[in-house]
Amino acid sequence: MVNVLTPQTPERAPGPAPAGPAGHGRRRARHRQTAVAYLFLAPALLFFAVFLLLPLGFALLLSVSHWTGFDLGAIDPVGPDNFGALFTGGSTFLVPVLTNTLLFALGTVALALTGSVVVATCVDRLRFQGLWRTLYFLPIVTTVVAVGNVWKYMYEPGGLANGVLNALGLGSVAFLQDPDTALPSVVAVQAWASLGSAILVLTAGLKSIPASYHEAAALDGAGPGTVFRCITLPLLRPSLLFVCVTQFLTGLQSFALITVMTRGGPGDATNVAALEMYRRAFDYGDWGTASAAAFVLFAVVLVVTLAQLWIFRRAGEDA
Amino acid sequence: MTRRRLPWLSYLVVVTGAVLTVVPFLDMVMTSFKGPGEAGTLPYRFLPKAFALSNYRAALHQLNLPVLFRNSVVVTAVITASVLLTSSLAGYALAKLRFPGRDLVFRLVLSTMMFPPFLFLIPRFLILVHWPLAGGNDLFGRGGAGLTVSIAALAVPFLVNGFGIFLTRQFMLSLPDEVLEAARIDGAGEFTVWWRIVLPQTRPVLVTLGLLTFVDAWNEYIWALLVSTANPDLMTLPVGVQLLRDHVDPARTMPVVMAGLVLSVLPVLVLFLLLQKHYIRGVMLSGLK
Repeated sequence: MVNVLTPQTPERAPGPAPAGPAGHGRRRARHRQTAVAYLFLAPALLFFAVFLLLPLGFALLLSVSHWTGFDLGAIDPVGPDNFGALFTGGSTFLVPVLTNTLLFALGTVALALTGSVVVATCVDRLRFQGLWRTLYFLPIVTTVVAVGNVWKYMYEPGGLANGVLNALGLGSVAFLQDPDTALPSVVAVQAWASLGSAILVLTAGLKSIPASYHEAAALDGAGPGTVFRCITLPLLRPSLLFVCVTQFLTGLQSFALITVMTRGGPGDATNVAALEMYRRAFDYGDWGTASAAAFVLFAVVLVVTLAQLWIFRRAGEDA
Repeated sequence: MTRRRLPWLSYLVVVTGAVLTVVPFLDMVMTSFKGPGEAGTLPYRFLPKAFALSNYRAALHQLNLPVLFRNSVVVTAVITASVLLTSSLAGYALAKLRFPGRDLVFRLVLSTMMFPPFLFLIPRFLILVHWPLAGGNDLFGRGGAGLTVSIAALAVPFLVNGFGIFLTRQFMLSLPDEVLEAARIDGAGEFTVWWRIVLPQTRPVLVTLGLLTFVDAWNEYIWALLVSTANPDLMTLPVGVQLLRDHVDPARTMPVVMAGLVLSVLPVLVLFLLLQKHYIRGVMLSGLK
């Protein structure tokens, strides 16, 4: 019954409650709501403490330590040596691993963005939009193990991709075995798999552009190319930015597809930073440099994301 | 006006793209029916000579499918239930309850979405292995296998989802306070309000969140791979099929692998086709895919 006294007005910072019987009841109600709120939040907060903050601190500690595993008491802090080891003494981390990571992300974004802009502008004019969306979405709900293996098999000499090339009278390509074609080949698969969500976002963006803009431009004698360049693209910028940033983020981090298809090979041709981190940790037990690699990649992710936001904002001001 | 221009060219582009998207799936299904000597040989043939089920029988036999299915189903169910429960509880507290520290907690939830998952891979695994008093460990996490002895190891890192809390909180903000207040006046406690009034009205967003979580959990590969290297009894479907591919002669057993893949992809594909509107809305909201 005391809840009757709790008005639905925005509350200020918890301070001394007003005096009198009403204030007393209000304070009790408020205390009870605080207790209930933290009870409801308890599972989430506990999880964040144990599986987010604790791991983060642990990873930071490992990144500046030598540790051979097993005994937690034997972690030996050595300072920034692990970071140094990543970039000196013939280490492959900067070249080709980090450069591969950037190329992988860049290639994926370029392919997926181009493909999705083309398909989305075309879909926008057609019937059966639901059907197209469903079809383009299939790869997104499919496990990376299936995507990776099906494409790996299609890339084989007796697979579908070479079958098509041979049928066209062209020679076979050793897609994943040739160091020159391996990275573009996995980039194509990653772009293939992420096309659906990019199309979804761009289609929604296109729908939000009023048709009257296009009609007005057409009345003024603008051709379809001019309309696309001067009206559609600028108004689509928020959607393009969204696709760009999210796909780039995903591209920088993802290594599941590469693990399934090539494990970074041949040589280091498709090795990326997250996979290098995984292998250093779980294949070689080199926990220190693996953790250092994780933080370097995290820094790259942050810098690239901020840079993209900055570039798009500047471009927006210039337009 | 512009909408009517060049529709045939648009159809050509969209249909070509759709074919490119679907053909790998068809190739997977066709290969899964191919007999011995039919797959991976030149010249390439799309269709199998006969639709034989022998590869599916072989997959059933070689993959220990009942165990893989059980692991996948249990883990996916636990993760989905946990994410829905914790998200709706925390989301309700952040949207509709007043308490000191609310803004701080909300900001904390938002900041959890900033960290990429790879950052936690190593420390989370080490924390599980060194979990005190589990799997033969002593109080300081030494001596045993820790939580990796239990199927919980597969689910634990995914039990709470910052985005899920954010999503439910945003949705619950729009629920009218008057209804909740009326229930409180009638003597309902906060738990009753949450269960009886808030949850039923939050159903659409819970369906979306549940689907996103279900599909992600079912398809998850890296963490499950890691856990199952520590304890092979904990293999899920994706890990088991991948292991089969790695350990056997690829030319002969590729059709068997494809059969295993078809079986592991099918449940999620069916679910997606049935509930795709909810799923697509979720992808739209999250932008994480």
